[in-house]
Amino acid sequence: MEERVMRLMRKGALSCSEDTSVREVAQIMLVNSTHYCVVINQSHEVLGIISARSILKAFGKDLRQAKAKDILVPYTFTITPSTPLREAIQLMDKRKIEHLIVVSDRPGSKAILGLLHVEDIVDRMAQDEER
Amino acid sequence: MVRVCDIMDRDIILCYPHDSVKEVVHMMKANQFRPVVVAHESGEVWGLVSRLAVIRFYGEDLERTRAEDVMRPYRIEVDPQWPIETAAELMKRTRYEHLIIVDPHAGPMRPIGILSSFDIVRYMSGIETGHYEQILKMPQEWSTSSP
Repeated sequence: MEERVMRLMRKGALSCSEDTSVREVAQIMLVNSTHYCVVINQSHEVLGIISARSILKAFGKDLRQAKAKDILVPYTFTITPSTPLREAIQLMDKRKIEHLIVVSDRPGSKAILGLLHVEDIVDRMAQDEER
Repeated sequence: MVRVCDIMDRDIILCYPHDSVKEVVHMMKANQFRPVVVAHESGEVWGLVSRLAVIRFYGEDLERTRAEDVMRPYRIEVDPQWPIETAAELMKRTRYEHLIIVDPHAGPMRPIGILSSFDIVRYMSGIETGHYEQILKMPQEWSTSSP
């Protein structure tokens, strides 16, 4: 049977608001040892994601003034727990993103359920080879 | 002035071009899922295998594919004495997630370190290593959301 995103996704995600300063976002990522931060609005809907590469966009700028909304990669595609894993991997490869936001299956929902991480896929590949 | 050698990671994960993707995947797993530098037996850097490059082979026979078939060829010579600003600009321009640092005195393309965009984020955050405890007392709105 075809594997789905739900097999490997992690529930929950580190998040910040769109008005969080870039310096704070960098600190959130660093303190939590994560390479991403999801940007949400007041209704907890996903606006986009910030990676280490996104933070680089603000290099040389005043990081206390620059906001999360200035550097986020907008959330434009929908991955749900029932999306085939192979389809999610193709999306990661095509867009060069290592963390995919997973939202609810409900139509139009932008409530975040969790994330699919590239390292979890590599981990699964290593485990499969050990079997 | 902070230089590349001040913040780069000196612990490089190396494989040979003829190593299989299976071996590369195991190397990644054993090393916090960091990318693997592909080097010729002479010690010269040939390329870099990223995590995104290996997941293309999910569900396939990993022993049939070689590191040299999936690596991104790497030709840039980044000097350890470069200021961080130069490395950050190069990353922005080339869209490289990692820069391989080579020793300019040791022969052609001899790797001595790797610099990731996350290393630069660490520098940009202004947090000194060992000072995380203070940052952990940050405002409550920095939370982990869950459904």
